[in-house]
Amino acid sequence: MSDNKIVSVSELTRQIKGVLELGFANLWVQGEISNFKLHTSGHLYFTLKDEQAQISAVMWRSRVAQLRFRPADGMKVMVRGNITVYEPRGNYQIDCAHIQPLGKGDLQIAFEQLKQKLFNEGLFDDNNKKPLPEFPQKIGIVTSPTGAAIRDMIAVISRRFPSVEIILVPVKVQGLGAAEEIAQAIRDINDRSLVDVIIIGRGGGSLEDLWAFNEEVVARAVYHSKTPVISAVGHEVDFSISDFVADLRAPTPSAAAELVVKDKNEVVELIRNFCYTMTSTMNNSIDSYKQTIAHLTQSYSFNKPHDLLRQRSQHVDDLHRRLEQNLTHQYVLLRQQVTSLDSRIKTLDPTLVLKRGYVIVRQSNRIVSKRKDASNGAVEIEFHDGSIDAEITGKRK
Amino acid sequence: MSKKETKHTFEQSLSKLEKIVQALEQGDVALEDSLKMYEEGIQLSKECLETLGKAEVKIKQLTKDLNGKLQLSDFEE
Repeated sequence: MSDNKIVSVSELTRQIKGVLELGFANLWVQGEISNFKLHTSGHLYFTLKDEQAQISAVMWRSRVAQLRFRPADGMKVMVRGNITVYEPRGNYQIDCAHIQPLGKGDLQIAFEQLKQKLFNEGLFDDNNKKPLPEFPQKIGIVTSPTGAAIRDMIAVISRRFPSVEIILVPVKVQGLGAAEEIAQAIRDINDRSLVDVIIIGRGGGSLEDLWAFNEEVVARAVYHSKTPVISAVGHEVDFSISDFVADLRAPTPSAAAELVVKDKNEVVELIRNFCYTMTSTMNNSIDSYKQTIAHLTQSYSFNKPHDLLRQRSQHVDDLHRRLEQNLTHQYVLLRQQVTSLDSRIKTLDPTLVLKRGYVIVRQSNRIVSKRKDASNGAVEIEFHDGSIDAEITGKRK
Repeated sequence: MSKKETKHTFEQSLSKLEKIVQALEQGDVALEDSLKMYEEGIQLSKECLETLGKAEVKIKQLTKDLNGKLQLSDFEE
């Protein structure tokens, strides 16, 4: 260059490229994202800036896939990368290998972003929450087969309500592929309609350790589960995305076990109370029937037949009395008649006439009361004090 | 699967029992019906208490065999 050597643009650019790319390799730069663009190719393009300056930035698709959060305009970030020169345009830019948010960690940002996204989609809506069965017979548990969580849950369920069946679906709960395993387990157990309720969860750990439960694939599997899901991840203070989608969040796995089954003793007590109530109501009811029967037998209606009988017999007595009265009356009348007839009969007594000197003439046992009835021959003449025989000898003119 | 599977689940039995208790308490059931209901109620409560008497949780695990087919097996802690 000292000899005023003339170089081509390409040569110059190549030399600049060499200097910049060697001199600014693997550096960390801090700034604010603007002009953020996710190209259809999958590459990220944005500008990193502060108050006084700006630099173009790019992140290639293969690295974008490893990002847990989605960068956005206005976000303060730290990027690690190399300066590269794009010769056709004479531009320099920072080729990002990694981007991480300033202040909050990338996981925190990712968590908030996914939470917002799923919230907007309605995955957390209370309307979609399924009621938990009151008395599940089979409980599916999606967790590590070796962790403290499964042991705690088995212990709590055994203590509270041992007449259930637990179906464990062993999964990896952290590390690569854990989220996919958990999601698949939820789908498998649903496909077979194996259980009445599902608990997914694990014991406490770092945000990194609990991360599988913050992944979208788990959230969607929980959302699509036909069987109600209880999410029990980490400690009380840890909230995971699966907690928001699940039908119920339990603060810990042990708490999930407490929530999923009732205390057997309380149920036994309840049933005993039922028996007591049934028996005492039955006894009361029978007593009350007895009382009703007793009351009825003393009642007017029940005694009506007796009463009627009494009434009838009184009526009969009454009739009888009236009949007697009637008869007496008739008797008196008859007596009078008889007396009068008697005196009249007495006046007709033939003996009285005989005493006065009349006689009765009989011929052939027939009374002869007319001249023409008499004929010659024997007759009987009756006086009042006896009879004599006589003979008719002829009729006078 | 146990051989002696009762017709109703525990939950159904308990809810039926509860209904019987309520009906009997309301007292507008004919005596003969209420006696039948009482008998049924006592039977249901026996069944429920029997279920509650089971002492140990059954634990199985759902895993995939070599062909990726799901299978249930006993779980050893």
